[in-house]
Amino acid sequence: MSADQEKLITELVGKGLAGDMDPINAIEDRVLRSKAKAALAKAKRAAKTATTAAPTEEKPATETIAETPPSDNPNKKFGKMIEDTFQGSLDAELNDTHIQLKPDNWFEIAKWLKSEPSLYFDSLQCHTGMDVGENMLEARYNLHSMTHDHKIEIRIAVSRDKANIPSIEQIWRIGDWFERETYDMFGIFFDGHRDHRRMLLPEDWEGYPLRKDYEVQETYHGIAIPKVKVGWE
Amino acid sequence: MGVIHGEEMVLNIGPQHPSTHGVLRLKVKTDGEIISEITPVIGYLHRCFEKHCENMTYDQVIPYTDRCDYLAAMANNFGYVVAVEELMELKVPEKVEYIRVIMAELQRIASHLLALGVYGLDIGAFTPFLFMLRDRERILDMFEMTCGARLLYNYMWVGGVSHDLPKGFVETAFQFLDYFEPQIEEYNNLLTYNKIFIERTADIGVLPADVAISYGVSGPNLRASGVKWDLRKNDTYSIYDKFEFDVCIGDGGQGTLGDCWDRYYVRMLEVKESVKILRQALAQMPKDGDVHQALPKKIRPPKGSIYSRTETPRGDLGFYIESDGSPIPTRVKMRSPAFTALSVLGELAGGWMMSDVISILGSLDIVLGEIDR
Amino acid sequence: MTVDTLFSWLGGLIPAMEGSGTLLVIAILIPCLVLFLVVAVNAIVMVYAERKVAAFMQDRVGPMGQGVGLHAGKWGFLQTVADALKLLTKEDIIPEKADRFLFILAPFVIFIGAFVTIIAVPFGETIIVADFNIGILYILAMGSLGVIGIILAGWSSNNKWSLYGGMRSAAQIVSYEIPAGLSIIVIIMLTETLSMQGIIEYQAGGIGNWIIFANPFTFIAFFIFFISVLAETNRTPFDIPEAESELVGGFHTEYSGMRWSFFFLSEYANMLVVSAVAATGFFGGWHSPISGYFDSNGWGVFWMLSKIVSLIFVMMWFRWTFPRLRVDQLMNICWKVFLPISLINIFGVGIWTLFFG
Repeated sequence: MSADQEKLITELVGKGLAGDMDPINAIEDRVLRSKAKAALAKAKRAAKTATTAAPTEEKPATETIAETPPSDNPNKKFGKMIEDTFQGSLDAELNDTHIQLKPDNWFEIAKWLKSEPSLYFDSLQCHTGMDVGENMLEARYNLHSMTHDHKIEIRIAVSRDKANIPSIEQIWRIGDWFERETYDMFGIFFDGHRDHRRMLLPEDWEGYPLRKDYEVQETYHGIAIPKVKVGWE
Repeated sequence: MGVIHGEEMVLNIGPQHPSTHGVLRLKVKTDGEIISEITPVIGYLHRCFEKHCENMTYDQVIPYTDRCDYLAAMANNFGYVVAVEELMELKVPEKVEYIRVIMAELQRIASHLLALGVYGLDIGAFTPFLFMLRDRERILDMFEMTCGARLLYNYMWVGGVSHDLPKGFVETAFQFLDYFEPQIEEYNNLLTYNKIFIERTADIGVLPADVAISYGVSGPNLRASGVKWDLRKNDTYSIYDKFEFDVCIGDGGQGTLGDCWDRYYVRMLEVKESVKILRQALAQMPKDGDVHQALPKKIRPPKGSIYSRTETPRGDLGFYIESDGSPIPTRVKMRSPAFTALSVLGELAGGWMMSDVISILGSLDIVLGEIDR
Repeated sequence: MTVDTLFSWLGGLIPAMEGSGTLLVIAILIPCLVLFLVVAVNAIVMVYAERKVAAFMQDRVGPMGQGVGLHAGKWGFLQTVADALKLLTKEDIIPEKADRFLFILAPFVIFIGAFVTIIAVPFGETIIVADFNIGILYILAMGSLGVIGIILAGWSSNNKWSLYGGMRSAAQIVSYEIPAGLSIIVIIMLTETLSMQGIIEYQAGGIGNWIIFANPFTFIAFFIFFISVLAETNRTPFDIPEAESELVGGFHTEYSGMRWSFFFLSEYANMLVVSAVAATGFFGGWHSPISGYFDSNGWGVFWMLSKIVSLIFVMMWFRWTFPRLRVDQLMNICWKVFLPISLINIFGVGIWTLFFG
């Protein structure tokens, strides 16, 4: 990489850290552009303080990567509101991508999120389970408001030994099926769920497939489950 | 005079049944002909899509997304590719965007034709099904012309598309649109305004808007309940903001707002809107450009996660992708619209008769491949 | 009628047995055998016609072959023959928990209900197996036997879906006989006779004398009658007992092979009979539309058959056009719409005849 290219990249990284992404996006040469972006990402990572499993790139909405001022970012704004209303419920620092909550009074928080007029999160868009390693499982909720058109992501981390999260299926009715599927795949128990059983796999299946340490069972009702594909080609 | 309660009969519809749209089992408790409770049982088509994604690179996942909602494969590809590109902040050339929109809208027409035809078939009208499939064949011929496949395309890649549009595609497409627009009138005459069809579908399975939002219903099902929400307008992705089209909502034309007829009619209107978008896109598309120019050499999204949604014929398809910087995703979760649509069946179908359950199920337009993944 | 002429002709042929009971039995059996063949041929032809008519209406070609000897004959003529052969050679499956005797009996009961009505259908001036003086009443009465067969089929299969189909069908057929019968009463009021040949006699003299054009009430009565018999023969839009997409197969879900084909044989035979009744009652039977021309015995058969075939074509046309009605909507139409209209028809025809002769 030549010296002027290096200087150009340093300049662009400086601008990017300040929030101005247009100079980088305007570069015609694909290689140079990606190098600039990689350098920017590295710089951002270096500047970030250590947090829990929080990613470094922020992406609150489907627009460009313009770094928004902290108070406008929905996750930060609403995270602060949640902390103000329910003390001690945040499990990590406020950041741009998600709100990390403790599982304890999740049900009340969820009810408040749905009914509070300025928030009015009436739609649970997606419910993902995650095996984040270090013996922790996470449930991630993507909430969205049809009236105000803002969205947040809430993550609740629990340990594998005591993977219990309050169920919110009575608040967002789609939570019924979403939580059943997360239970099926990850083994997170949702307390208070009225119909807690597996969704996609048979009732008597053993294990939770999407965990990283999942081992398929040997036989199912006497049918051997093949693990090695020798002989299939 | 007291009410006589007979014994409740527990019946099983499916998994093999002519009108469940895939392998779906419905446990039905009936009292004579009236249903008291209905429970869908799914999982017969589970193929561990999400587990597979954790062992493949990002571009190897694309054929697998095809096979989830096999009746609208282009839309699945589109949703996935938009999510990965957003994660990577990759910008694709304009021609690629136009091609993607054209393919997505053609796929929307094809999928809706099938949904409407099969719905008529469930109700007992055999002929509109065949007419709609005949027109769908012409769309599939266009797809075959472009990428060689009729149903499962593997067409949209991260950063571009797999093949450029062949010579003569635009003319063929215009010919098709000119042939197709009067056909919609024929379908309306044959099925939409047929008195028997209206009696079978109007006022049945009414879905109120707030119940729909709580159950996460989206797409034509939600719009038929009067909610003006279309991701192509409200949460624009790709280049949909360049086209002029209306968001079709139901209006209780033949009965209550949000009944089965409304869901059918919204799909019929959406076909017309797709034709509009197609005409604009085909006219505005840049003639030259390399569709492979933005394909990345190695797809390595930065560490992070993203949830992004697109509008498929069945509703909003969401992809939650988490990446840890390596070429293989850590987690891909596909939030399918048919999953949420089926979950509302238990709520909708209580108190109706057996024939109505078939009617309601058909109007929700589910595909089991997408529900089970 | 045919039995009589045959009896005397056979008596002339074999003087030794003239006037004996055996000869009578033979004289009865021969036309019945011919009728059985008519029913079988009718089924074959109608299955082929249905498939071709359906195909052309749906913008496709239907069964095709490329020449005699090649899988289905030219234009697919041999398709039904192939189907019949296949059904004959199928394994006869009777579900284990099914009520064996009733299961085997049901197709026969339905077939009998359809078959015995054919003997009273007039195909020509002297071509009728049994010219009862209560002809039309006989046909309506014997036609109801089929309901028993359907209920037996639905019940004995030991299958909830079949039970649904059987019960729906019973309700439907029994209800729709009433408007059909009341529409026939309109005819009887005009012709003052129940005999089939007598009704046709009344309409002698060309198209202007046909009962359907006699007065506006009989015009409406024809439509009521036609739609009611559609319901009786379980044709779309009233085919809810065998609604494929809902009940898999309705009352004939558990049947396979020849038993299953009996149901369809009797459905087509039923269609033939009710079209014949409609042609007799409303369209002048075997009379030609232009009196005096093409009026001989042979031509009579031609006119009768063409009227029957057109009505059957209309039935097939309905099947491939309309969706099907739900059970309660079906019953609604019968009891709340057709029944009052039929009663008004009877009243109207009476008043009309009183004032206009």
